[in-house]
Amino acid sequence: MKIKSKWLAILMVLGLVLAACGGDGETTTTASEGGDTTTTEAMVDDTTTTEAAMVDPTVDVGVDLEAGTIQVGLLSDLTGPFGPLVSAIVAGQNAYWASVNASGGIHGLMVELNTVDTVYDVTAHVQFYNELKDKVVAFGHSTGSPHTVAINADLQADGILAIPLTWYSGWSDPAINSNLLPHGAPYCIEAMNLMEYVSGLTGADAPTVAIASIPGDYGLDSAAGATMAAEALGLEVVYDGVGKVIPNDETTYDEVAAGIAGSGADMVFLTATPGAFSAVYGRAIAGGFEAKWTGASPSWNPAFVAEDSPIREAIVRDMITSSYYQTWDGDSDGAAQVRDLMTAAGAPPTDFYGEGFIEAQILHAALEQAYMNGDMTQAGVLAAAKSLESVSFNGLGPEERYSGEPNDIVQRAQWITMPSLTSETGTEILEENYISDTAAAFEFTGACYVLS
Amino acid sequence: MLYTSYEADQAMLNTTTKRVAAFLFVMFLLAIPFFQTGTIGSGDNPTGSLPGPDFLAQTDWLKLLATVMIFAIGALGLNILTGLAGQVSLGHAFFMGLGAYVAAVMGMPGGALWGLGLPIWIWLPMAGIIPALVGILIAPTAVRVRGLYLAIVTLGLVFIGEYLWRNLDFITGGSQSGRSHPPFELRLWKEETPLIDFQSDGTWFGVFNVSEEAKTYLFLLVITLFFVVVAKNIQRTRVGRAFMSIRDRDIAAEIMGVNEYRYKTLAFAISSFFAGVSGALLASFVGRSIPEQWILFLSVQMIAIILIGGAGTVSGTLLGAAFVTLLPRLIRDATQWMQGVVETGDSFLSSIFDVVISTGPGDFGLINTSPGVAPGLGIDQLNLVIYGLLIIGFLIFEPLGLYGIWLKVRNYWKGWPFTY
Amino acid sequence: MLILAQATTEGTNEIAQLFVQGLALGSIYALLAMGFVIIFKATQVLSFANGSLAATGAFFVAVFATVWDIPARWMPDAPVWVSWSLAVLLGLIAAFGLGMLVERIFIRPMIGEELFAVAIVTLGVDIVLRAITNDFIGTNSRPLGDPWGIQVLDLGWVRIAYTEIVQLLVTAVLVIGVAWFFRTRTGTAMRATAFDQEAARAQGINVGRIFSISWGIGAMLAAVAGVFLSLYPRRAAGLDQQTAFLAFAAFPAVVLGGLDSVIGAVVGGMIIGLAQAYSALLPWDFLGTGFGGAVPYIVMMIVLLVKPYGLFGTEEIRRV
Repeated sequence: MKIKSKWLAILMVLGLVLAACGGDGETTTTASEGGDTTTTEAMVDDTTTTEAAMVDPTVDVGVDLEAGTIQVGLLSDLTGPFGPLVSAIVAGQNAYWASVNASGGIHGLMVELNTVDTVYDVTAHVQFYNELKDKVVAFGHSTGSPHTVAINADLQADGILAIPLTWYSGWSDPAINSNLLPHGAPYCIEAMNLMEYVSGLTGADAPTVAIASIPGDYGLDSAAGATMAAEALGLEVVYDGVGKVIPNDETTYDEVAAGIAGSGADMVFLTATPGAFSAVYGRAIAGGFEAKWTGASPSWNPAFVAEDSPIREAIVRDMITSSYYQTWDGDSDGAAQVRDLMTAAGAPPTDFYGEGFIEAQILHAALEQAYMNGDMTQAGVLAAAKSLESVSFNGLGPEERYSGEPNDIVQRAQWITMPSLTSETGTEILEENYISDTAAAFEFTGACYVLS
Repeated sequence: MLYTSYEADQAMLNTTTKRVAAFLFVMFLLAIPFFQTGTIGSGDNPTGSLPGPDFLAQTDWLKLLATVMIFAIGALGLNILTGLAGQVSLGHAFFMGLGAYVAAVMGMPGGALWGLGLPIWIWLPMAGIIPALVGILIAPTAVRVRGLYLAIVTLGLVFIGEYLWRNLDFITGGSQSGRSHPPFELRLWKEETPLIDFQSDGTWFGVFNVSEEAKTYLFLLVITLFFVVVAKNIQRTRVGRAFMSIRDRDIAAEIMGVNEYRYKTLAFAISSFFAGVSGALLASFVGRSIPEQWILFLSVQMIAIILIGGAGTVSGTLLGAAFVTLLPRLIRDATQWMQGVVETGDSFLSSIFDVVISTGPGDFGLINTSPGVAPGLGIDQLNLVIYGLLIIGFLIFEPLGLYGIWLKVRNYWKGWPFTY
Repeated sequence: MLILAQATTEGTNEIAQLFVQGLALGSIYALLAMGFVIIFKATQVLSFANGSLAATGAFFVAVFATVWDIPARWMPDAPVWVSWSLAVLLGLIAAFGLGMLVERIFIRPMIGEELFAVAIVTLGVDIVLRAITNDFIGTNSRPLGDPWGIQVLDLGWVRIAYTEIVQLLVTAVLVIGVAWFFRTRTGTAMRATAFDQEAARAQGINVGRIFSISWGIGAMLAAVAGVFLSLYPRRAAGLDQQTAFLAFAAFPAVVLGGLDSVIGAVVGGMIIGLAQAYSALLPWDFLGTGFGGAVPYIVMMIVLLVKPYGLFGTEEIRRV
């Protein structure tokens, strides 16, 4: 359904475009509900500019009124270490925008995604950024923290908005997030939630804990949160393997697994890539070690409980996982929309689509606001995004607040899940919108782990 | 061709045609940033430009060309070691990483990570000198082993380097975190405002409006030209001839009085110097590096450049660098174009491309344009496959590389209408 | 739970446990190294493609054992280990075929070219094969469906996974098999080919067939290594995209033993495996993390300084 005639512009001026496009839609999904109810308080307040939107908004890069399109860039790791996760997120983004476009797009403008595969490589990430920055109005996500840091200065210089696809706690620090809209509980706070929740499951009076992680912002930010939580909860850390698991280095797996098993800890906090997590876990339990295991959300992969996986029974017994949003089986309208759209698109069930929907809805709110402001330039979209008070997701994720002191607006809520042999996606929900006492009491002033 | 003197035979550009062509080519490269409207002229709304394809002057193409030049410098170094001296090295990525980190330590102000905050005229040369010294240190091992054993020893260098970069986190910023690198800006010493600043747009000589990317491009062009001249000079003088004699038959070379040990060490040092500078430029150009980027694949890319271009020749290496760096971009553009044709519909082309491209689930095709959903190779995999096939193909069918193809074409027209 | 965990870990003898770990790792290196050596011995080609051949071979096994479920679907009554072994056998035959195919398409045209050029061709083959295989493997891990799962044999002073016992046995059998093979008619022909291709041809040896077979066997040995690399406890969730890279760690083993010595490959593999395992005992903190990964290369460089052609390698005779 590609609209490229000049008629579109005329229709827009007449204010008929919504009806026209809605009627023309080839598919009659019920998606319009989720797409349009993305509320932004700022938008509601801003009634004065609504009339301005009846004329064409100002545009520069990425919005083509003639063709009726909005170009959005996605810097995705499709085939690197987080490939499974990010591919599903991209599929989620595609499904969401397809449904928005089918019900009229953003006031008649169709959103088109430009997805590139950065392979989790900083150089490639920067190159793709340069290639896309003269083509897109904003970046729907940017995978990886060092990668996003690498383009952050350019984002600021070029005045472009990006949504980080990384839950690094630094993104909630206003000193560096002037061009970013973070979302979801940061690794550091997630770790506090998990530590408190899982330590209650061990059955021990004074549980001991082993903490290990891969190097880099992801592992170290998460491990920093776990270490702070251990201190706050008075848990004894009997093994410290922070930054010691190196993906694809067999000897570090052996070393950390031996350290964890040798410590005899009651619970293990291990944040790693799924491959590294399963390798360390497998080796540790080979030594007859038994404990409760947990780690930041991206450590988990449903392949752990696949039919032929040797560790499927053990991992269901041992592991507690987490999610930044409601998983596939969620009962909210937002989760139902994910299920409906993805099933309609013929995609197999997985928990990861939700993140794509969340990112897309944040960007949707920003684009909507920019349209209302009558300024859909790159700078206009950025300004609109930064003026958002909050974005909510119909229960799919916790409401994100964007105005206020960092400590007040940083996200602390998340979902606690566990592996399951019966669920379609391999997990089931244990706790919804969970905020631990430790996380609630935590004073957020900036990144838990500082990237230099 | 008749040369009347030895000097003329050995000159860098030994015919008038070559001299004219080289001059015109350099002029063209210098002119590229000014192909875009508004790059020449003064006042608020300058409209002047030089005639030429203006897509080259767009920022993403300027950046691509800058990457080509950075890779070319590194590959010129490897060409001296492998192409001229015949010593196979898979360790080029290690020296590139070393150069990048030397530059970072020298050029960045200290803080959480080590740094001295020195200006570019110190850190850029040092980024070559230190790797060259390390190359000399490693040379005894490398000279002792030969042939395929040397390839594996240098392979080991990359893996040891990976371990070092990961653990020297006070220099490298640590695994997957990385560090930032000094920007391109010319200072006399540590003063506040740089003499030439590559981070902002500006106007030169009152008429040339240069963007940040154009400045960086021109800066790298000057440096690349310098290294091209150096490489060419090494090749045509005594040192280069000694290298080639070792490559062709090491024992014969020794009997002729070429000190094998000395010249192999020298080849390692020179090649590491080029690699170090290239690595430092690459990291500074991107602005950030992580320890995981100096891996075997980078070495393989360098080898691919000299093999595809034509081992042993400077112009071949430059061709190879352009080819290898631009290839992924061309493949992606071609795929997008094909996808566009398929989407628009009924033409003859679209039915052909429909077989090649797979756009959604159930649509079978070679190239997958919706990753994670449709079957087929993703663009990145496709790149790798084409890459590998090119390396294989050139080695099997055209061992002289692009340079060899050029020679054939040139000789064909020279002899036309006769075959020789 | 706490007491149990401590009891088991205290019960094992660390030195002995690391020895078992080192042997298990070393046997994988030995398998990969033998693959290199056979190819090198017969064709004088240093193959950089064995890593991706290992991953592709393991992928074939995954396809037969779990995706298509062949032959288990035709023999539902057979015990799992029988049907799984048959699936592995099918996978290995496929890997053998792939090795022959690679040789026929990419290596045969390079006969007579510089050794370095052929080595780089194999590097190109590695890139192509890896990209295609990884696309097929997909982004999730692929379990291989082996019958032993996470079972562990506990001897008190040392614990060893069932898979590792099988792995050591299979390696031993294959080492003996390869040694025996070189004494058979084909093996002798292979040695003759390695010594002098033209003379061998003059004796009526089909040199092309020898090349094919050596690549087939090399690919098969790599596939066996790939299978064990993808099983518990090395990879708990199965084959993934990184498996192909792990084979690079076998290069030091090959060089250590000497490029053309089967015994060297086994000894080199075991030395590297044990060195890597025991490096965990080094008390120095400043070594940081991942020192074990660099150990094979450091050991290799030291040995090469003393013996430039490895421990068991044939010295090149340099004539003018």
